[in-house]
Amino acid sequence: MGNTQRTTLRSILDTQTVVNNAKFVFKIYYARNRTRRLCVNFTVDEIRVMMDKKRNIRNMSVIAHVDHGKSTLTDSLVSKAGIIANARAGETRFTDTRKDEQDRCITIKSTAISMYFELEEKDLVFITNPDQREKSEKGFLINLIDSPGHVDFSSEVTAALRVTDGALVVVDCVSGVCVQTETVLRQAIAERIKPILFMNKMDRALLELQLESEELYQTFQRIVENVNVIIATYSDDSGPMGEVRVDPSKGSVGFGSGLHGWAFTLKQFSEMYADKFKIDLVKLMNRLWGENFFNAQTKKWAKQKDADNKRSFCMYVLDPIYKVFDAIMNFRKEEIDGLLKKLGVTIKHEDADKDGKALLKVVMRSWLPAGEALLQMIAIHLPSPVVAQKYRMEMLYEGPHDDEAALGIKNCDPEAPLMMYVSKMVPTSDKGRFYAFGRVFSGKVITGMKARIMGPNFQPGKKEDLYEKTIQRTILMMGRYVEAIEDVPSGNICGLVGVDQFLVKTGTITTYKNAHNMKVMKFSVSPVVRIAVEPKNPADLPKLVEGLKRLAKSDPMVQCINEESGEHIVAGAGELHLEICLKDLEEDHACIPIKKSDPVVSYRETVSEESDQMCLSKSPNKHNRLFMKAQPMPDGLPEDIDDGKVNPRDDFKTRARYLTDKYEYDVTEARKIWCFGPEGTGPNIMVDCSKGVQYLNEIKDSVVAGFQWAAKEGVMAEENLRGVRFNIYDVTLHTDAIHRGGGQIIPTTRRCLYACLLTAQPRLMEPVYLCEIQCPEVAVGGIYGVLNRRRGHVFEESQVAGTPMFVVKAYLPVNESFGFTADLRSNTGGQAFPQCVFDHWQILPGDPCEAGSKPFVVVQETRKRKGLKEGLPDLSQYLDKFLHVYLKNQKTRGKWIFREHYFSKIR
Amino acid sequence: MANFTTDGKICIERQVKVADLNEGQCRDLLTRFDVDETCIWIKENNHLKICLQFPDDLLGVSAKIYEEIKKQIDVDVYILGDTSYASCCVDSVAAMHVQADAVVHYGYSCFTKTNIPVFTVLPKKGLNIENIFKILNESFNNDENVHICLFYDAEFEHCKDELSQRWFNQYPHGYIANVQITDKENRFLGRTITNGKGHEYTMDALKNCICVYVGTKEQTMFNFTVSVSALEWYYLNSETMKLEHREETTWFKRRRYLIEKCKDANVVGILVCKLAGDQTKDIISRMKKLCKVNGKKSYIVSVGKPNVAKLANFPEIEIYVMIACPENDLYNTRDFYTPIVYPYELEVALNSNREQYFTNHVVDYDELLPGKRQYCEIDHVKETTDVSLITGKIRETKVDSCEGSSMDLVEKQNWALENIGQNLQERSWKGLEQKLGETEVKKAEEGRKGIALQYNNEPE
Repeated sequence: MGNTQRTTLRSILDTQTVVNNAKFVFKIYYARNRTRRLCVNFTVDEIRVMMDKKRNIRNMSVIAHVDHGKSTLTDSLVSKAGIIANARAGETRFTDTRKDEQDRCITIKSTAISMYFELEEKDLVFITNPDQREKSEKGFLINLIDSPGHVDFSSEVTAALRVTDGALVVVDCVSGVCVQTETVLRQAIAERIKPILFMNKMDRALLELQLESEELYQTFQRIVENVNVIIATYSDDSGPMGEVRVDPSKGSVGFGSGLHGWAFTLKQFSEMYADKFKIDLVKLMNRLWGENFFNAQTKKWAKQKDADNKRSFCMYVLDPIYKVFDAIMNFRKEEIDGLLKKLGVTIKHEDADKDGKALLKVVMRSWLPAGEALLQMIAIHLPSPVVAQKYRMEMLYEGPHDDEAALGIKNCDPEAPLMMYVSKMVPTSDKGRFYAFGRVFSGKVITGMKARIMGPNFQPGKKEDLYEKTIQRTILMMGRYVEAIEDVPSGNICGLVGVDQFLVKTGTITTYKNAHNMKVMKFSVSPVVRIAVEPKNPADLPKLVEGLKRLAKSDPMVQCINEESGEHIVAGAGELHLEICLKDLEEDHACIPIKKSDPVVSYRETVSEESDQMCLSKSPNKHNRLFMKAQPMPDGLPEDIDDGKVNPRDDFKTRARYLTDKYEYDVTEARKIWCFGPEGTGPNIMVDCSKGVQYLNEIKDSVVAGFQWAAKEGVMAEENLRGVRFNIYDVTLHTDAIHRGGGQIIPTTRRCLYACLLTAQPRLMEPVYLCEIQCPEVAVGGIYGVLNRRRGHVFEESQVAGTPMFVVKAYLPVNESFGFTADLRSNTGGQAFPQCVFDHWQILPGDPCEAGSKPFVVVQETRKRKGLKEGLPDLSQYLDKFLHVYLKNQKTRGKWIFREHYFSKIR
Repeated sequence: MANFTTDGKICIERQVKVADLNEGQCRDLLTRFDVDETCIWIKENNHLKICLQFPDDLLGVSAKIYEEIKKQIDVDVYILGDTSYASCCVDSVAAMHVQADAVVHYGYSCFTKTNIPVFTVLPKKGLNIENIFKILNESFNNDENVHICLFYDAEFEHCKDELSQRWFNQYPHGYIANVQITDKENRFLGRTITNGKGHEYTMDALKNCICVYVGTKEQTMFNFTVSVSALEWYYLNSETMKLEHREETTWFKRRRYLIEKCKDANVVGILVCKLAGDQTKDIISRMKKLCKVNGKKSYIVSVGKPNVAKLANFPEIEIYVMIACPENDLYNTRDFYTPIVYPYELEVALNSNREQYFTNHVVDYDELLPGKRQYCEIDHVKETTDVSLITGKIRETKVDSCEGSSMDLVEKQNWALENIGQNLQERSWKGLEQKLGETEVKKAEEGRKGIALQYNNEPE
């Protein structure tokens, strides 16, 4: 496939003449030979010079809901570089480098492009912060990452956000703020990425919906408000980032149409009127938005609407646009000519005989070129690495905030030790090898230098997941094209060769010996849909395994798992994500025909009540006894653990305080959380509630090992546990250490925990999607029908103001979501399109121990698939008789009577 | 060896189930246990000290047989009971304790090689041949030309002649896997394949053959199904007379998972559960070498008969490779804290010369040794990294290179030490707590007496 992409792009490059716009010079470097100057203005060396001017760098991503027009908009930026001729902007998806991306018109992988742009003298004054611009430098180096909009590929967005400082949020002004807009925006704010807003698809609002100008203003106003509400929820203007909210009157909101290639901010219009009105530009921008009305007769401004005045935005911004649209779409030739003269737009000879939509595009594009408005917005409102890294350091770095690495990041210092974060792996043409793509936050990464490569499991002072290797090559990455470069200083994005073997997906590259890791990215989606794969020809298994390893690297989130049963599982965010992953696996990574199972979800095991009895298990030598109970965690705690709000690395006192305040845990007990599990971090805990047990600390490691074992493989179907708290109430141990070793305690702990689970009304949990569906009113009924059949339930239904569209929000079990999109389309005449994103775990109603219930069936199916004994686990296998112990201990009766009493109290 | 871990007293006091013998049965003991043949063998080979090894369920007749042998010849005879590992294997170590010349093995046997002369007395059990052929005819359509091979429990060896005659009558193109007690080139897990004309074949001959196993020993049957490639495998239970089709694809999947586990493991436990024969020593050193070549730490663990508790005492060991007779089911138990693999699986994981994909397993480690069918040389391994699909982490092969400067050695040692140190560091319990000032001062008390397994004065 790599080849087809190359040819498509090559052919574009070869057939297009390089057009140089007087103002903008963007270049894409793809020549293997660095002396060959493909572009008049730039060589790698010149780009390298720009990289040093860190205040003039903007690293930004384009984020939006699916189909809101990111890639098209990006094209209109790139088109100015002469890669795609002006006329074809909006029709070629430049950043969609894969064939399937082009075919489906959907972005799957995020792609980076570098651009160069010079700001005019008059615009430079808008940059006031000295850290936003090098003195006497007008040029800006813009590294743009176009990211996918479909929820299933959110992990790509996360990876893009990590290496950028600003985000261009694109919103379709017809559909408004959608679920994915909110998700990615929330993520951006959490990563301290500064947003600017672009209202896309204005052409649709005018041509299809035929909105009145006031209505359109209201639509814009609402979108700005919605976006600002989301921003305000996750950050405030007094925070370290300063003002985050977007404001049209400040110029941080753009309007236009990516498809038609035109865009503006209020700054553009103010410039047109400033001279005429003799008002200061900034003041005029303020006047052009919000509750500002102008009376054309009295030439007076007002704050309220009355009979004679008109909203300034409508009058000065929208009206001229409406007029152009009206004249051109109604073919009023004379009026057009007059308007064009007024706007100062001259039409080139070859466009002269166009009319209708084609002419409209030409006119709008020359009047309000999208590139200019957007690039000004980017340069003026998005932060430079120098500005951004100052407040991002504490979010990015796990180590102490005053060590050399931290300071290097904070100051974006190219002379400090190297700190680079690798956020994703990009396949090379060499099968099985990858470029490590990431951002240099501090120091310089130099070809041939020795560096420490630290994976996500690295811990300072230890050697796990740490490799000291040579960086074979440093490269610039632009789409699929790469160009070798000697070194890359802090604040820039680049790729590395020769690092991929030591990292699975992400990692930190450093030269500082005491460096800690950079924080691991947190994804907004989880791999909850799973498909088992096997080769059609069994002998191809080694190739499949090799392919799975490559697939695991190439996607930021996909999980390729070899299960205990020997099955090979590919887990992804949703059906589409898996479909793409499996296609890649089959065609690119494994290159063999593959058999795929139907998609299944993974379940979690939990309990719904406290154990109905004190569970006792005796060690094989009968000399040690464990007394425990299980109980469900309060609502919200498992999620808090998932989110890292409660985690094993916290100070135990702070954690106990939090648990006491929020979940009413007993403070002394909350201080004695022995461990989290599975994997030491999962949403289950083991709490020591015992008092004065001798040698207890000595067996802690063994108990923890047994707990990790049981939490990973639950009693019902060997699925992970979730939301279970185990309490140890008492332990009796043999006085001799050899009789209470791991061998006695580990299996016993597991047995005891299993008994606890079985006596605490075990339940299964299934993953649930939050599902947002947009459709016209007539289709709403069909949606309800489909959702009802699939155990989904609607919790919100509303009309998108100003449009005939409805938004239905529902919870839908992931297990019921397979084929949902197709089902929904067929039931709504293709009018409804769902976006599903994993939201939470929910108890599958029914008792898995009751034959015939739904969870029972799931448990049996899972057991069968895993090659376990079918049927239900037998409590008597795990639980030892309480009474028996009591009788056997007649000799020490006093002690046991006390214990009995003690237990009756806790019971 | 047994006494290292178990108190002799426990062993003596243990209750075993034995079948009581009545008069009539006693009389046919001579034929049932080939007493005459045994005596002839002893005499011919001039053995002077003989051990009679009995499995637990035959201990009841041991004294009778002892008497019978003593009656016929004048040699030193000892009775061996409570075999160290599995009673199917010859307990040559126990025999060496009395410096015996030879062992007479009774009961179920796995036919593995030993370094001491052995006379195997196979158990004898009646077989309803009529019924078996009836069932087979029904299932295989009485087709004369079908290629079909018969396997049977060693207990039915005594009716071999009748069985062969009927078999080749029925299936002239068929084969029979006869029990082969002495080691031979074509012997495989104690069987050799012959056709109607008496020609011997290797197991490869069965590729296009349907195989039927008649008997009740599921484990033996299982070992054949996984290690012999045949068209199809059927199991005919000689007691219930039910015919089942057998396929072990899920088992193979699980084993491949365990091979990946082997690659992940940094610390390998070589679990020794068999002592007889020189090949045990060879396979242990081979396993050690494999680990060393791949930069993995290996420990030899000998704990008598392994159980869950014993093996969980070494939580640092990430995988056990068990050197044992293939006739045991511990390899497939899921209860162990760390999984147990066959030597062959460790070979597949760590020996780069071996084919990664296999359809036939090698359950008998003897086959892996130099000069044997499945031998494969061990090559030096290059330092590489790889992604583990089990943990989702990078796994690294750090190789101990033989050549290299002395500085390297120090570095390597440090690395090994660090590895061990890391395991210990992760433990929260660092040693006895002093609790200075917290414990009250007491007079010295009398402690326990005896060994830890069972004190003379237990608290209960």
